[in-house]
Amino acid sequence: MGEMVTTDRLLSGASALRGDAAPWAGSLRDGGRERFTQLGVPDRRKEAWKYSDLARALAHKAGAAPSPRAPLVLEDAFVAVFKDGVLDVAGSILPPGLMPLGMVLADPGSPFAGVLGSVNAAEQAAHPIVGLNTALMEEGFVLSLAAGDKLSAPLHVRFTWTGAASDRHVRLLVDLGEGAQATVLETHDGAPAFSTVVNEVRLASNARLTHVRIDRLSAGARQSAVTLGEVAGGAEYRAFCLSEGAAFCRHEALVALTGESANVEIDGAFLVSGDNHCDNTTVISHISPNTTSRQAFRGVLSGRSHSAYQGCVKVAEDAQKTDAYQMSRALLLSREARIATKPELEIFADDVKCSHGATAGEMDADALFFLRSRGIIEEEARAMLVEAFLEEALDTIAAPTLRDVAASAVRDWLANHTAEVSHGG
Amino acid sequence: MTMLEIEDLHVTVADKPILKGLNLTVPAGEVHAIMGPNGAGKSTTSYTLAGREGYEVTSGAIRFKGEDIVDLPPEERAAKGMFLAFQSPIEIPGVTNMNFLKAAVSSQARLRGEKEPGPAEFLKMVRAAAKTLNVSEDMLKRPLNVGFSGGEKKRNEVLQMTLLKPYLAVLDETDSGLDIDALKLVAQGVNALRSPERSFLVITHYQRLLDYIEPDVVHILAGGRIVKSGDKTLARALEDHGYDAVIGKAA
Repeated sequence: MGEMVTTDRLLSGASALRGDAAPWAGSLRDGGRERFTQLGVPDRRKEAWKYSDLARALAHKAGAAPSPRAPLVLEDAFVAVFKDGVLDVAGSILPPGLMPLGMVLADPGSPFAGVLGSVNAAEQAAHPIVGLNTALMEEGFVLSLAAGDKLSAPLHVRFTWTGAASDRHVRLLVDLGEGAQATVLETHDGAPAFSTVVNEVRLASNARLTHVRIDRLSAGARQSAVTLGEVAGGAEYRAFCLSEGAAFCRHEALVALTGESANVEIDGAFLVSGDNHCDNTTVISHISPNTTSRQAFRGVLSGRSHSAYQGCVKVAEDAQKTDAYQMSRALLLSREARIATKPELEIFADDVKCSHGATAGEMDADALFFLRSRGIIEEEARAMLVEAFLEEALDTIAAPTLRDVAASAVRDWLANHTAEVSHGG
Repeated sequence: MTMLEIEDLHVTVADKPILKGLNLTVPAGEVHAIMGPNGAGKSTTSYTLAGREGYEVTSGAIRFKGEDIVDLPPEERAAKGMFLAFQSPIEIPGVTNMNFLKAAVSSQARLRGEKEPGPAEFLKMVRAAAKTLNVSEDMLKRPLNVGFSGGEKKRNEVLQMTLLKPYLAVLDETDSGLDIDALKLVAQGVNALRSPERSFLVITHYQRLLDYIEPDVVHILAGGRIVKSGDKTLARALEDHGYDAVIGKAA
């Protein structure tokens, strides 16, 4: 164990922030600081953080340097390169409509003054990490598309973390006007000592955003990420989260469906080995009638890893005809691996369809024997079954190029974890 | 040459003795049928031959082409030419039929130290076999056995058999769940593979399948051992008079 981690220590960088923020940004930061001080560093005594004790994780020394891996590449895409959480403008190919966060925060008359820090405000208000991130956000961007605009190519937001000792807090806002469309691939490689990454996603009516997130953090990394979403009538947010976990790795998707016929899909796969931790937490709020949400997560767990999936669906009184589905499946490759699954339904409307399910089990012995009886050696048969299990998760990614990138990340993981996969390590 | 020789085989499943002194010899090129009432040990015989975990050989020997295979894992038995056609072929979502076939053919070639067929050669092999068995292109592209009808699953088993060219094919209740047309198609596929170098062990509860795959020898399995053997008329006698009458007190 190490030192106690206090809100003061985590906020210590705040006073060193550049003083060139516009007044609105200054008050936004102050608000975040206040909230974080009040809510404290999340630990397991808070119900929502029961499986992810950040205070405890931060009390340990930061982990080792990242192990080098082949970068994930998305062809023919815009690229926003972040090195240790700092946007490298010169090294990026930024799309029109993208502005570095610093410029936005410095602009007293910024059109995003009322947007930043207010997407899904109900969830922001009670969130310690969003508070911390808001207090300390400096780097990031705002991607804004006017009504009817379509991003001409996907945007790859590429984070590389070298293991630099200081904490980083990145804020991204994706603001799509009516009917606008964009595709964003967000990848994280390396070992942040501690980073928070907050995405705010605001979709006006009939807008569409596809958001694929791939976390390949090193074993010693600590990251707490939150995606806040507001999806208006007829708009669609489709997200996929692929994560390998880390010393501390939590991603939350907190999305409100605020207009009729809004649709949200949040699917994911997590491949967690060794002593890694991985937490996927979702809160989907159906506020308007005829809204639909779907969540399907699949985990492959080995070693002494510990994972959690907490999926909460809230249906407001007015949100009649809501259709919500959530499913969690876990494949346990070792006896020491753990997963906690916690579905929650808070339903105040009376005419809704909400279903959920969860399974956790070992590899199917019948399938394994079938493959081996056809001459496929055991190691290969096991790898085939793990890949097949994940394949079904990947199939939820509609865009073929993004699916290919995610599939290559999965293959890369499988190739690096043959022992765990083939012997159930 | 003797293809398969089972000698005084005792097998337990979850510590319960199921096979209790099974003796059986199948010469190369012959088709033998094993018939028996429920609980006789038919499925245990097929799983034990294929090497499934949990089927523990406590004594006796299984010699395949003269070699004792009791200690070999399933994949090595397969590479030596043992094939089990499953009573209920397994569905594996996420693995396409084509990729599965390729993995099986390639892995067997590697285990035997042979050259793997190239992609073009493999495709040609699959398409030719699929055509004769009425396996559609769609069935090859779909996930393994997922959404296949009973007949499609069994045809797919015969397709695997055709590609893997085993020396001994064990057909475990291949007739179960098939209507007469599906049964004929499967039997045609099996009959096309009959050759002097290949043997079949057809395990079945009913005589029906043996109308289409004609056996050289019929064995009756009861209480974990062979209690009676004869020619194909034995199967007919079972159908006409029932197990009790034919095997009498021997069971």
